[in-house]
Amino acid sequence: MSAQKLAMVIDSARCIDCKGCLAACKQANHVSRGTWRNWVKEAAPPVENGPGGSRKLGRGHFQPGACMHCDEPTCVAACPTGATYKNAADGTVVIDPRLCIGCGNCIAACPYGARFRDPEKRIADKCDYCPERRAAGLSPACVDTCPTRARVFGDINDPDSDAAKLLAANQGKVVRIIARQKDTRPNMYYIASTAPQGWTVQPADPLSFDFLAGVVAPAVRWAVGLSGLGVLVMLGRQLMAGAGPAAGPGQEKKEDGHE
Amino acid sequence: AATAPEARAAAPAAAPAWESRYSVCDMCFNRCGLIARVENGVIVKLDPNPRFTKSRGMLCARGNAGVAQVYDPERLKTPLLRVGERGEGRWKAISWDEALDLAASKMKDIGAKHTRCGMLFSAGADMQSGFVSRFAEAFGSFNVTSHESLCLLSGNRAFVDTFGDVPLPDVKNSKYVILAGANRLEALVTPDSMDLVSIMQKGAKVVVLDPRYTKSAALASEWHPIRPGTDMAFMLALAHVIIQEKLYDAKYMAERTSGLDRLAAHVADKTPAWAEGETGIPAADIQRMARELAAAAPAAMVYPGRRSSDYENSTQIRRSFAIVNALLANYDRPGGLVPARPAGLKKAAPFEPPWYDDNPPGRVDAKSVPLLFDDEGSFVLTREAVLKGAPYPVKGWFVYKTNPMATAPERRKTREMIDKLDFMVVVDIAMSDTAWMADLVLPAPSGLERQDPVQALQAGAEGACLVWRDPVIAPLHQSRPVFDILKALAGRLGFPEAFDFDIAGYRRQQLAAFPEAEAILKRDGVFYPPNAPLGGTDGQPFKTPSQKIELYCSRYADLGLDPLPVYAPPKPSPDAARNFRLVAGRSACVTQGSSTNNGLLSEFEPENTLWLNEEAAGELGIRQGDVVQVQSPAGRGELRALVTPKIRKDTVYMLSGFGTLSGGLSHTTGVGASIVELLESRFDAICGNSAIHETYVSVKKKGAA
Amino acid sequence: MSSDIRRHDKSDILMHWFNAGCWLVLLVSGLGLIKNERLNPLGAWLPDALRSLFGGGSAGGAALLVLHEAAGVVWVLGLAWYLAVNARGARFFLREVFSVRPGDFAWLARKMGRMTLGVGGELPPQGYYNMGQKAFAQASVLGGAAIALTGLVLLLSAKVLPASATGLVGWAVTLHYLAVGLVFAGLLVHIYMAAVSPEERPGLRSMFTGHVPEDYARHHHGLWLDALEKDALENSAQDKDGPGAGENG
Ligand SMILES: Nc1nc2c(c(=O)[nH]1)N[C@H]1C(S)=C(S)[C@@H](COP(=O)(O)OP(=O)(O)OC[C@H]3O[C@@H](n4cnc5c(=O)[nH]c(N)nc54)[C@H](O)[C@@H]3O)O[C@H]1N2
Ligand SMILES: Nc1nc2c(c(=O)[nH]1)N[C@H]1C(S)=C(S)[C@@H](COP(=O)(O)OP(=O)(O)OC[C@H]3O[C@@H](n4cnc5c(=O)[nH]c(N)nc54)[C@H](O)[C@@H]3O)O[C@H]1N2
Ligand code: HEM
Ligand code: HEM
Ligand code: SF4
Ligand code: SF4
Ligand code: SF4
Ligand code: SF4
Ligand code: SF4
Ligand SMILES: [Mo]
Repeated sequence: MSAQKLAMVIDSARCIDCKGCLAACKQANHVSRGTWRNWVKEAAPPVENGPGGSRKLGRGHFQPGACMHCDEPTCVAACPTGATYKNAADGTVVIDPRLCIGCGNCIAACPYGARFRDPEKRIADKCDYCPERRAAGLSPACVDTCPTRARVFGDINDPDSDAAKLLAANQGKVVRIIARQKDTRPNMYYIASTAPQGWTVQPADPLSFDFLAGVVAPAVRWAVGLSGLGVLVMLGRQLMAGAGPAAGPGQEKKEDGHE
Repeated sequence: AATAPEARAAAPAAAPAWESRYSVCDMCFNRCGLIARVENGVIVKLDPNPRFTKSRGMLCARGNAGVAQVYDPERLKTPLLRVGERGEGRWKAISWDEALDLAASKMKDIGAKHTRCGMLFSAGADMQSGFVSRFAEAFGSFNVTSHESLCLLSGNRAFVDTFGDVPLPDVKNSKYVILAGANRLEALVTPDSMDLVSIMQKGAKVVVLDPRYTKSAALASEWHPIRPGTDMAFMLALAHVIIQEKLYDAKYMAERTSGLDRLAAHVADKTPAWAEGETGIPAADIQRMARELAAAAPAAMVYPGRRSSDYENSTQIRRSFAIVNALLANYDRPGGLVPARPAGLKKAAPFEPPWYDDNPPGRVDAKSVPLLFDDEGSFVLTREAVLKGAPYPVKGWFVYKTNPMATAPERRKTREMIDKLDFMVVVDIAMSDTAWMADLVLPAPSGLERQDPVQALQAGAEGACLVWRDPVIAPLHQSRPVFDILKALAGRLGFPEAFDFDIAGYRRQQLAAFPEAEAILKRDGVFYPPNAPLGGTDGQPFKTPSQKIELYCSRYADLGLDPLPVYAPPKPSPDAARNFRLVAGRSACVTQGSSTNNGLLSEFEPENTLWLNEEAAGELGIRQGDVVQVQSPAGRGELRALVTPKIRKDTVYMLSGFGTLSGGLSHTTGVGASIVELLESRFDAICGNSAIHETYVSVKKKGAA
Repeated sequence: MSSDIRRHDKSDILMHWFNAGCWLVLLVSGLGLIKNERLNPLGAWLPDALRSLFGGGSAGGAALLVLHEAAGVVWVLGLAWYLAVNARGARFFLREVFSVRPGDFAWLARKMGRMTLGVGGELPPQGYYNMGQKAFAQASVLGGAAIALTGLVLLLSAKVLPASATGLVGWAVTLHYLAVGLVFAGLLVHIYMAAVSPEERPGLRSMFTGHVPEDYARHHHGLWLDALEKDALENSAQDKDGPGAGENG
């Protein structure tokens, strides 16, 4: 278990869809126009019977979200360079921008659509729980700014953190949004319940990556292995021949002598 | 597991090398406390000031977008003189000296030719707006308008005429709130918006009446898609039930209110069943809500609202809100309506305004309605007077931080009014549509670049807090605060004594009662003056003629107005083709008519759409995203349809701030439709507040016959 | 004692060792770049070890990437330089490498048999390059082109390519890996034959001196020597420089 386990506990029933968190995140993290590190999803309200046989919309619900910093992140599994990895110190899933080559494998591999390729930075991007702000002793931008305190952040391994306390107070009622297709063990906790659900997608490696991992990598391993084996056999013969009396064709000795 | 990651520890990130400076958000009138993070003289982030409890330590999307406002490449940079035709957009950059000389000489000419009341002054919500009024007074003009006659005056009128003041809602302690025509979870008002969410979680009930399924409606305990213009019927029915069932505190009513008997008679036939016919809200629900409301009293309220620029009888509608509150005996009670608490600010830099004998007797819009607020007037009626040139000509206009071309109904008329002027100067941060029509445009610094005087802000039961602004960065471009502009003009116009002070000195005078305040403001970004507990007005007379809460308003009776709100059903559309009522309303990511060009916010609201009920759309053959043509007697517009179940079949809605004309608003000019192009110029019959929900429009698919 | 025959000119030699040096750097740094359970050729320890040499963790990886990209650019520029200064040599090399003669496959099969299992018949005579060399050279030319092209895509990806290029970049990774892998498989044999196998020692020396002994040439590259001699007969004014000689050719 990592020393810390940073997580977001969201009381989505408090969310008013004001998008303060989206604006704050963009401003804090220089997220390029047209792309977002976080989101607020709207549940389709139920249709109820209104007066006089009319139809009327029922209670709505908004669901704030972002990368869930999963314990079994499919994005990490799909990254060829290890630019995306799970930070052992705090449990976050982070991207080292210096190692990212923008291949986009991780984008398709995330069941939550949490990632995107930033059109200006040209590399993969997603929520990183605002490490610079944390270093300055502040909460992440989206948490800090939220008018209704719907987003609560902290180290859930530390029982004194706001997030851990909220979790403890709601024990047994906390829900997570788990992709039907793959449980990545997300670390985003919603209090009591949340909607909408079922918006997750099949985490799919791009064909190029499946081909690479499934065909190319084994084929290369085989090819290199075979050729390595051949070399070893040749080397063995050479060494044995060097030790024995009748080596290969005579001229080789002659050439040796020639040197 | 196969996908278990190879975990490794990242090097801890370095904290940003920023300096933190307090300021106050200027993206709307709420003025939430903020901390600007400044790196090498550049604002990189605005964060909420956690000590600023009025906003519950938050900063909304617009607040965050304050950075984009400061660094907007389209910001005004230098004084600009119009060189082409009005609205043509040909400008010449000039120096401040030239600009100020020109403005002063034009104002002098207008004063000489048309009396000093020939100059109109308009200022929006701002911590320096008071200086504009001061200047107008010193210059000698009665003609000052603010954004308020486009906003909340009918509500203020109603509450002043009922309670003698404009109380504030103490949402935080309330157990039952009826929000009628107030979309508080999108139209953010601090701390009410946040408190509504908190109290709902604690079990309080919030009822929303709105023809639209707003976000407030979505999250409320109940939503009733009320027929527009019928809120008074609902309120009278609540009063009916409360009185009929004697759910009120009889002793309180006897001691503190006047006119209960007349009210009882007035609402005797305003049964829930009757109200159902008017509002479309089931009678049983109305009856239940009346009982629930009374049971929760005094920690219950009909939320007074803010923008009441809705109907020609908005003052009377809001009177019905005030009356139900009176029946709940919630005045100065936790969870009810609380009086604004004295903040203890001293009047600074007092001066004797001069008197000019040649001036006309009063404002140009005076007496156009029975109960105009003298300090605010009515923009719609002032515009009418300027157009007519009567009772006297108004030929000059000084505009600061308000944008009537985008926020006053019937844009065409505002445009015509401007054509009547000899000189118009606009002080703004952006080339607003109003600036676009001016003769002279002066670049203003944003709130983050300014020093501002102290202002008191009220936060429900928590009372007043004091804030000021110091610049967090030096003013960008050639921008100058309006105070400096006014001071320079006062010097040129021969009344320098009216501005013979600086803001720092002014603030010292304001804070004379609190020697500790300056240090605390610097330390915390906000100062809380001592705040008396609620209930302080108990036993004190109300500031009404009867010294009681006037259920029956004697003053109205004297003026020949209805002393009790008389319900009349909304007038039907005079034209069968115009069968939709157009209503206005907020988005949490847009401030009034003018933040839509903000680089960050434009990502949230890139264009406006016409909300059109799905059944209505079906009948008109309009599909999602179709371009529709909307027409009213005032004008027309084209925009995309948002076909939705979230609005009544008889109502359409669009966001303000689009379809602009200015060449300096690239995100909104030519994008969407302008609502003010469509709205007719109606006004409240009692106080002259604009009435922007009185317009019926026709809607058809573009290209359809 | 037979006389030496000119086999490589200086730019060929320089190019070869420059190429070999770049390959070494690129391979080592490139291997440090793959870090993924399903791709690691030898397990995570390899990239971890390589990264730890450069500061460890993803910072080490980042340093390796910078090195790899720089070396990649140097390598591509070097190749371009060679093509510019010795276009004739390059043309000769490519013609030789891609002209496969009827007996070549028999040679390859027998040679492989002999070297590994000690079986196989008489070796048919070979030209400037034997079929083994040709096969490897073909792989490294085609593979190299693929590597350079895909490498360029990878290099540009995070610098200039638009967000919509992720598909292209993904395939570039796959092809880069594939090409490197295949050439590397051949490289093992190449290095063994060239540097370890005693039979080929004169060839190795020629990669420094430019010359091979005549009897080595006759035995290993009989057809080449025949051609050289025919040339010499036809045009006795010319010396016995190999066709790669660019300076005075
Ligand atoms: N159609 C329609 N009309 C409405 C409303 C509606 O919802 N729909 N709402 C009504 C209500 S409630 C109100 S309060 C009014 C508000 O109406 P206005 O007072 O016109 O408010 P804004 O549209 O916010 O315009 C503010 C202006 O100030 C400028 N500005 C912003 N910051 C600064 C600054 O720091 N310095 C200077 N000098 N200028 C600055 C902006 O560029 C903009 O031009 O509109 C009313 N009219
Ligand atoms: N995000 C954001 N917040 C703001 C502002 C902003 O511009 N943006 N502006 C601030 C200002 S100046 C003001 S005045 C306040 C305004 O605050 P509100 O008054 O709450 O604002 P509006 O959004 O205009 O809300 C009016 C609502 O009334 C509904 N409505 C229309 N007709 C009727 C009717 O007949 N009956 C009933 N019951 N409802 C009706 C409309 O659909 C709309 O949802 O917001 C303040 N807060
Ligand atoms: C002799 C040439 C080269 C060799 C042996 C080589 C080898 C490798 C290897 C083994 C990898 C890691 C796995 C992979 O993606 O395939 C790699 C990645 C990479 N190479 Fe090369 N490379 C060579 C040339 C180049 C060139 C010319 C460039 C660019 C100009 C380049 C750019 C890259 C980049 C950016 C990566 C990172 C992508 C990743 O890790 O998947 N390479 N290289
Ligand atoms: C330690 C490393 C290497 C050694 C000792 C070595 C040695 C040699 C020698 C001796 C020759 C000359 C053969 C002849 O002309 O008779 C040669 C040729 C060649 N080498 Fe290398 N080489 C090395 C690495 C490489 C690498 C990394 C590549 C490219 C991927 C490469 C590509 C070639 C090619 C294409 C030829 C010409 C065709 C051939 O002889 O197979 N070499 N090398
Ligand atoms: S800031 Fe808070 S309330 Fe607003 S959208 Fe985000 S999570 Fe919801
Ligand atoms: S949410 Fe997606 S991007 Fe975030 S850790 Fe999980 S799989 Fe990776
Ligand atoms: S785009 Fe994603 S998968 Fe590709 S290198 Fe970057 S982080 Fe790894
Ligand atoms: S934690 Fe930081 S990076 Fe993540 S969504 Fe919030 S603001 Fe954005
Ligand atoms: S409500 Fe939003 S825009 Fe208005 S002052 Fe507060 S933070 Fe600024
Ligand atoms: Mo307003």
